[in-house]
Amino acid sequence: MLHVQNLTASIGGTPILNGLDLEVGPGEVHAMMGPNGSGKSTFAHALAGRDGYEIGGTATLDGADLLTMEPEARAAAGVFIGFQYPVEIPGVNNMYFLRTALNSVRRARGETEIGARDFLAVAHEAMELVEMNKDFLNRPVNAGFSGGEKKRNEILQMAVLEPRLAILDETDSGLDIDALQIIASGVNALRGPERSVIMITHYQRLLDYIRPDFVHVLVDGRIVESGDHTLALHLEDHGYADFVNHDLDDTPALPLAGAAT
Amino acid sequence: MTTTTTPATNPTVSEADDIDLLGGLDYPTRRDEAWRYAPHDTLKRLSFGRPARPTGALPRTLEGRIPALDGPRIVIVNGAVDPDRSQLGNPAAGVHLSTLAGAGSEHPELLAAHLDQGTDDGDAFLALNIAYGNAGAAIHVASGQAVNVPIHVVHIALPDETQNVSCSGVAIRLDDGASATVVETSLGDGHHGGTNTRTTITLGEGATLDHIVVQDVESTQVHLGRISVTQGSRSAFRSHLFNLGGTYGRVVYDVRLAGDEARADLSGLYFGQGRQTLDQQITVTHAAPDCTSRQRFRGVLDDQSTGVFNGGIDVRPGADGTDAQQSNDNLLLSDRAEANTQPRLEILADDVTCKHGATVGQLDDNALYYLRTRGIDESDARRILIHGFADEAIEAVDNEVLRAWITERLGHADA
Ligand SMILES: Nc1ncnc2c1ncn2[C@@H]1O[C@H](COP(=O)(O)OP(=O)(O)OP(=O)(O)O)[C@@H](O)[C@H]1O
Ligand SMILES: [Mg+2]
Repeated sequence: MLHVQNLTASIGGTPILNGLDLEVGPGEVHAMMGPNGSGKSTFAHALAGRDGYEIGGTATLDGADLLTMEPEARAAAGVFIGFQYPVEIPGVNNMYFLRTALNSVRRARGETEIGARDFLAVAHEAMELVEMNKDFLNRPVNAGFSGGEKKRNEILQMAVLEPRLAILDETDSGLDIDALQIIASGVNALRGPERSVIMITHYQRLLDYIRPDFVHVLVDGRIVESGDHTLALHLEDHGYADFVNHDLDDTPALPLAGAAT
Repeated sequence: MTTTTTPATNPTVSEADDIDLLGGLDYPTRRDEAWRYAPHDTLKRLSFGRPARPTGALPRTLEGRIPALDGPRIVIVNGAVDPDRSQLGNPAAGVHLSTLAGAGSEHPELLAAHLDQGTDDGDAFLALNIAYGNAGAAIHVASGQAVNVPIHVVHIALPDETQNVSCSGVAIRLDDGASATVVETSLGDGHHGGTNTRTTITLGEGATLDHIVVQDVESTQVHLGRISVTQGSRSAFRSHLFNLGGTYGRVVYDVRLAGDEARADLSGLYFGQGRQTLDQQITVTHAAPDCTSRQRFRGVLDDQSTGVFNGGIDVRPGADGTDAQQSNDNLLLSDRAEANTQPRLEILADDVTCKHGATVGQLDDNALYYLRTRGIDESDARRILIHGFADEAIEAVDNEVLRAWITERLGHADA
C-alpha cells in the first residue's frame, strides 16, 4: 500500500521533515503522535500534494509515485486528507462541492459520473454515518461551521470519496465526547481490508475508540519510536520528554513487549 | 454640463438640431473624476445618431442570446423598436406598456419626465441620448397594481461601417403601491459602436421595482448606460447589475431617495476579461429622512481588465436617520488586472449611519488546494471559487431563467 522512504520536506530552506520512513499495509490503522511543531501536518500535506515544499525521498501508494502527482491526481489514486483546519469556502454549496469532488474522482478513475438524484442518496447515507443534519448540504462549505461541525464534514467527505488511504489530521481535536464517539464510529464503519488510515492525534482518548494497529512518535520531522497502542498510553503518562532533547540512545526502554492484546 | 438646450416636450429632434447639439458638446476628459478610467480615444472615435441601416434579420447567434424570459418584451435594434421581435401584450390590468414614442399620446407626462429627469448632472452622452434615444419602452403601472411577469427591454446594437452607437430609452413609472420587475438586456454584434441607454424611474409611495440590467455587448463595442431613479416615501428600488460586455462597459446609477423611509438596494457584478474596462458610477442621494441604501458591488477581473467602482453616498441636509452602506469587493485573477475603488461620502445631516468598505483579493490558495485534495482539478477548482465569489450577486436574482443565463455566460457549471 503506502511506502514512505527517507521523506524530507523543507520550506524556504528550513527542514521540517528529516527522513521519514513509514510502511502502511492494507486495512491497517496507524496513529501518529508527536509534540506541536514536530511535522505531523507537514507529513500529511506532503503526501496530499500541497505546494511550497522542497521534497526529497519517495512515497508510493500501490506502487504509484505520489510525489510527482498533482493533488487531484493523488485524490484519484485514493489519498484523502482530513484537514486539521478545514478551509471555509463561502458561496460554494456543500452538496455541489461534494458531488463535483466525487464525480471528478470517478472520472479520473474511468468510472461513470453520478447524477444529482443518486448522489443525494450517497450523501444522505454518509450524513447518517456522522449524524450530520441534512441542512449542512445546502450551506456553503465549512463557512460558519463550528469547529466540531467542520471535522464531521471532513469525515463526511471521506465517506463519500471512499479513499484507499485516509490521513486524518487531528480530526478529534475540538470535539465534544459525543462527537468524538460519532466520528470514531464513522471511521470504524469505513475501516476495511482495502482502506488504510493514518490518524494524527494528540489524545490517547481517540485510540480508545479507534484501536490502531501501530502508534508512531514523530519528533523533529522523523519517526523516533513505533509500537502498538500501548505506546500511546505511555505517552499519555509521560509526555514526549523521553523523546525530545535527548540523544535517542538515552531513550529508556518502553513497556512495549507483551502489551499487545 | 447641462442639457437645457434640449426641448423638454418634444422627443424628436430635427437633423439641424442634432448638429447644433453636437456642436455644443463637451466630451469628458481624463481629468473628470467620473471618467478617469474611460478609454477616451475609443470614445472620441464613436459616432452617435440615427440607425445606420434599417433592421434586417438579427445574426442567429445574437437572436439565441436574448434571455428567454416569460412576459412582454420590447426589442430595440439600432435605436429603433423592432416590432417583429417585440411582444407588447399587456401583462396585467392597470399596466401601460408601449414604445417610448407611443407613450406620447396616452402618457405624455412619462415622456416629459423621461426627457427631464437626471439631466442636471448630465454629460455629452446623456445629451446624445436625449437627442437620439427616441426609441424605447414606456412602462407605467397604476396605483396598487402588481405585475408578476418581468417586462423585458432588449437593446441591440448592430452598427454599420460607421461607429454608430445606438441610443435608446426606457421610462418607468410606478404609482403608489405598485410593483413590477423590469429587465434590461444590452447585446450587440459587430466590430464597433455599441449602446447608449438611458432609464428613468419614478417610484410612488410604497412602490417596489426590481430592476435588472444585463450588459453584454460585443467585446469590441461600448455600452454607456445611465439609470436615474427618484423614489417616493417607503418605496423600494432593488437593482441588480451584471456588467459583462464591451471594451468599455459603463453604467451610471443616480438614485434619489426623495420620500422618507424609502429604500434602495443596489447590487452589481462585473466580470472583466481581455482588456475590458467595466465602470460603475453610483450616486445615492439621501434627500429625505430615515431612508436606507445599500450598494454591494463585486468585481472579478482577469487578464488586463480594469474595474471601476466610483460610489457616492450623498446625505443632504435634513435627511436625518439615514442608514447607508456601501461595499466593493474585487477578485483579481491576474496580476495585470486592476481594481479601482473610489468612495465618495458627503454627509450633511444628523443621526446618520454610513459605512463603506472595499477589498481586493486573489483566489484563496488554501481553498484551491482544499478543493484539489478532493480530486477537483485545478481549472474546475478555480471556476468553483470564482463562482462562489460571484454567487451572492447571482443568487439575489429571483428569475430562474436569468440566473441560468448569467451562470452560463460566466462559464460555470450548474451550482
Ligand atoms: N508555511 C510554513 N512556513 C514556515 N514554517 C512552516 C510552514 N508550515 C509549517 N511550518 C513549520 O513547520 C513545523 C512543523 O509544522 P506542522 O504543522 O507540520 O506541525 P504539527 O506537528 O502538525 O504541529 P501541531 O501539533 O501543532 O499541529 C513548525 O515548526 C511550523 O512552524
Ligand atoms: Mg498539525
